[in-house]
Amino acid sequence: MTGEQAGDMRALIEQIAKALVDEPEQVAVEVVEEDGGTVLELKVAPSDVGKVIGKQGRTARAMRTLLGAASMKLHKRYSLEILE
Amino acid sequence: MAIPDKIAAAKRINEFLRGVVANAGLRLKYRISVDPPMAEDRDWEKPEILVELSGPDSPLLLERGAELLRSLELLAMEMLRLPANEHEKICFDCMNHRSMRLEELRMAASVAAERVRKSGVPYKFAPMSSRERRIVHLALREHDDLQTESQGEGGRRFVVVSPKNYRPAGRSAPKTIP
Repeated sequence: MTGEQAGDMRALIEQIAKALVDEPEQVAVEVVEEDGGTVLELKVAPSDVGKVIGKQGRTARAMRTLLGAASMKLHKRYSLEILE
Repeated sequence: MAIPDKIAAAKRINEFLRGVVANAGLRLKYRISVDPPMAEDRDWEKPEILVELSGPDSPLLLERGAELLRSLELLAMEMLRLPANEHEKICFDCMNHRSMRLEELRMAASVAAERVRKSGVPYKFAPMSSRERRIVHLALREHDDLQTESQGEGGRRFVVVSPKNYRPAGRSAPKTIP
């Protein structure tokens, strides 16, 4: 692997969400800059919402853990919101 | 039941991880093996797909009880739509974390067994994943004078070790004053 590569948080969430759902073409990630950091708003087909949240919210938590680790390397704060 | 097409599943995991590692900017490499030969002391788990991660960001994967490693594993399993009872068929590992954790759990189990035997009082473990609870149950199976069960809900489930035929003293029923 070569040098330091900057992560792309929007692409990260989009890629994971597309892998999880039945209708990847309906996945959209909106980037909203707020005072405390950047919010990534994830939108999926209504029938896919459960798949990105997971049992007891485990899938969403796993995405947030990954986002937390990746954004720490960028020294920026990102959060994930799933729109229903 | 086995994963229907392991090669295809391994390829999907590879594609998934390649994207995640690049997009997250993580300095990680990984190796994916299908039906990997496992060391004898690890015969308690027989993954059909083993993903071994390494590289400068390995410590990041293992922080807070390997939270990130387990998150990647969960996302891969969800992506493959693996039912919960087949989750042990995929195993993500890094720096031998799995076998070290196994040793830790076995040691904790034998300490707990001693304690319960001496005190006659149940011992509650910290909450664990189903996979880790299973290791504790298996480690204590050979102790005929003890029994184990899982209690609690969802992500807060934990193992309780108690003396065989243990009856909690007036926990559910109100205490009567003699």
